[in-house]
Amino acid sequence: MNDVIVVGAGVAGLTAAVRLAESGARVLVLAKGVGATHLSAGTIDVLGYAPERVASPREALGPFIAGHPEHPYARVGVEGIEAALGWFTARLPYVGSLDENLLLPTAVGVPRPSAVVPETMAAGDLRGGGDPVAVVGFRASKDFHPALMADGLTRLAGVPARALVCSALPEDRVDANGLAFARAFEDAAFRERVVTEVAGQLRAGERVAFPAVLGVTRPVWAEVAERLGRPVFEVPTLPPSVPGMRVFGALRDALRRAGGRLRLNNVVVGAERSGARVSALRVRVGLREETLRADWFVLASGGVASGGIALDSRWRVHETALGVPVHGAPDGERFSPDYFASHPMSTVGVAVDGELRPLGDGGERWADNVLVAGATLAGAVPWKEKSGDGISLATGFAAAGLVLGKPTKEVVA
Amino acid sequence: MAISDRADVLVIGGGATGAGVAWDAALRGYDVVLADRADLAEGTSGRFHGLLHSGGRYLVKDRLAAEECVLENALLRNLIPHCIEDTGGLFFSLPDDDPAYPDAFLEAAREVGMPAEEISPAEALRREPRLNPAVVRAIAVQDASIDAWQTVWTFAGGAREHGARIRTYHRVTDLHRDGDAITGARLRNELTGEESDIEVGFVLNASGPWAAQILHMAGIEDVGVVPGKGIMIAMNHRLVQTVVNRLAMPGDGDIIVPIQTVSVIGTTDIHATDPDEIPVTQAEVDQMLDDGERLVPGFRDARALRVWAGARPLFQDARAGEVTDTRDVSRTHAVVDHQARDGVSGLLTMSGGKLTTLRMMAQDLVDAMVAQLGHDRPCRTHEVAPPGPGEPLRLGGRLVKREETLLDEQLICECELIGRGRLETEMRERGTTNLDDIRRTLRLGMGPCQGGFCMYRATGILHEVEQLDGEQAAASLRDFLEERWKGVWPILYGDQLRQARLDDWIFQGLLDVEHLT
Repeated sequence: MNDVIVVGAGVAGLTAAVRLAESGARVLVLAKGVGATHLSAGTIDVLGYAPERVASPREALGPFIAGHPEHPYARVGVEGIEAALGWFTARLPYVGSLDENLLLPTAVGVPRPSAVVPETMAAGDLRGGGDPVAVVGFRASKDFHPALMADGLTRLAGVPARALVCSALPEDRVDANGLAFARAFEDAAFRERVVTEVAGQLRAGERVAFPAVLGVTRPVWAEVAERLGRPVFEVPTLPPSVPGMRVFGALRDALRRAGGRLRLNNVVVGAERSGARVSALRVRVGLREETLRADWFVLASGGVASGGIALDSRWRVHETALGVPVHGAPDGERFSPDYFASHPMSTVGVAVDGELRPLGDGGERWADNVLVAGATLAGAVPWKEKSGDGISLATGFAAAGLVLGKPTKEVVA
Repeated sequence: MAISDRADVLVIGGGATGAGVAWDAALRGYDVVLADRADLAEGTSGRFHGLLHSGGRYLVKDRLAAEECVLENALLRNLIPHCIEDTGGLFFSLPDDDPAYPDAFLEAAREVGMPAEEISPAEALRREPRLNPAVVRAIAVQDASIDAWQTVWTFAGGAREHGARIRTYHRVTDLHRDGDAITGARLRNELTGEESDIEVGFVLNASGPWAAQILHMAGIEDVGVVPGKGIMIAMNHRLVQTVVNRLAMPGDGDIIVPIQTVSVIGTTDIHATDPDEIPVTQAEVDQMLDDGERLVPGFRDARALRVWAGARPLFQDARAGEVTDTRDVSRTHAVVDHQARDGVSGLLTMSGGKLTTLRMMAQDLVDAMVAQLGHDRPCRTHEVAPPGPGEPLRLGGRLVKREETLLDEQLICECELIGRGRLETEMRERGTTNLDDIRRTLRLGMGPCQGGFCMYRATGILHEVEQLDGEQAAASLRDFLEERWKGVWPILYGDQLRQARLDDWIFQGLLDVEHLT
């Protein structure tokens, strides 16, 4: 028997699972596959745009929550976010806080606000400009274009930057993705070639940007920085995301250490109810279907991008795992014809009460022992707000707290 | 007026008709300039369903059009084999269709000489397992799928080899008139804003639904073009391997054409007022998806990649009796003789028509010009092929090519199998900074991910190869994303919505392209 089943192995699901397992609960995580970590930047963005660029999330969150009462942050509050960040940075090598966003360059050189970031990215901070940057790219990488980034840095952040192209080939391949580079970087001979080639071209006072591929299971960022004798930082680029894989790996390992279990290729296809509670989940494992029971269920299967929320061709919206009602589906226009405008479909998701319990169509509590976390929740546009993993972390952490009877926010009756 | 250029013939319009006309005229030894306000095949030609007509769709209601299709279908297969995939076609009827229609179809096919063979419903389902199993009668014909972009590029390329100058992104802003004669035109380079005047002996108006706008410049006001809006949806995968048509009077949503790795369903016919304002509505998308269900059950569960609308050129002539071409009785194409009709010499307009008969349309238009000029220069396009690889288009052909360089070259667009070398060559040769132009030539970003991965890569390479500054590269990327969105938002559901959301995460979440400028 499980105390808790968590559906989804992204930041929200794994955070809830680790916190629960570390508190002694018997936890089982079911996931169709790895979560959105492998597609993400690997940063914990709390609030970057509201809609103007946010300097201090701590200051901006109050008015933001007041203006967005349906936003997931309204369910956990600033204190909930802060507690979750503290929990996370105690376990993973991340830096930053709610006080002030860092400005990290994206792969096209846009200064992007983020609250808590991997230590491997922190030296890229563009607040107040900073030292000139040598952007290192690889001939064998199509997923990172150093000249384009350098151009953006100079133009948009006013930081002098230039591109260096390194000819080292991972495994002798001319076409390698981020993961292949990350594995190559774990090899001392490859690292040596890169460091030697780059070191000879650096100018005084430059910091060095690499695509975020400096090792995946064994990060080598610190060693590369030491060898080059400069601040070195990683820049997230196209998926697969190596920094995201590190987050997944770290949380998965923490879960295992705490006695929790993770089963991938387990597709939750429905819930069995008993009165006001869900008693079990129906789970497809290969060609079999199993029924798995627990006292509590945390739904963290992700949003549209992860398949947690789906729109069918008759324009009906579904939550795909438990069949929880979905809120916010527009009757009329679903999307604006202007790409960068706001689209009514963007905020569709599962609505919850102050205790993260899903709401039925009439606003009533749908089940007493189900909690919802992460991108499944309605009310946010995380890719625009730059709030993605912040929402996932804060709500995943809060969901665990609610199961443990430790809400971080005063529950409003 | 400062004349900066001279030519025998100015062809207005870089679609299938214009490219065919430029090829025909250049082959007859004329010095040709072709001008289009945008890229080649960016108008109606690049927005059709991709059907090389067997003639079947016209057999019963318009025999002359069917005959033309039979002839031209056979000719084009020989002339531009690399643009045509010989998919074959199937007409099939359902229980609620007119039971007399199939026999009328077969009889007309015999009379016209169009190859058609009735097959049993079981055989039809064997050939096309996803076809509606309620099929009553089925007739196999010689439909094929034709790549409109390759076709237009091939004819334009042939014209260029014979000295024609292809001026894309050159909008005709005025026609020069000396008394009753058209003597030239003013062109505006749409990329630089630069204006120039060209002196020409003849203007051939091949601008399709935009023809009336051109004629207004010549002071001819009483020809109208009612753009007929047709919407089409490209579905991921080939839901069928042959072209499937309803065996009934042509109507909305009654054809699916497999083309390359997708299949395209079409279409509607809704009168519009402006060929540049033909938005797709939700109701039209729903209608098309329902129509698809009747052709191929389960159609709605497939993934819709993109929706677009094309504008057919439906002419309304206030003095219809004076159209002089003999084809004016048919619903095919017609040459509008402005000397006879309006007393204006040096100007002819092509009205109506369809991509399958582009060669014949070009011949008719250039023949009319040659006759007015009193020259003796016979058409040769039925016997001379424009340059091309000569091999027929085959599904899988690109994969075979790609396999040859698999280990030596980066794959930039996984969906459409485009290698870095081809992309860089294209960027250099076309000298374009527009990702949407490259999309049309190479099919870059046309596959399931709709540019989610390849567009950042292509932007980086464009920046490197063309030495674009960051601002231009950023603008090109943003323009592409905005342009792409127009073709995807009305059909976003299921896995394609999921894909679009991943693309949002990449471009907005990860790269923050929104704040790139």
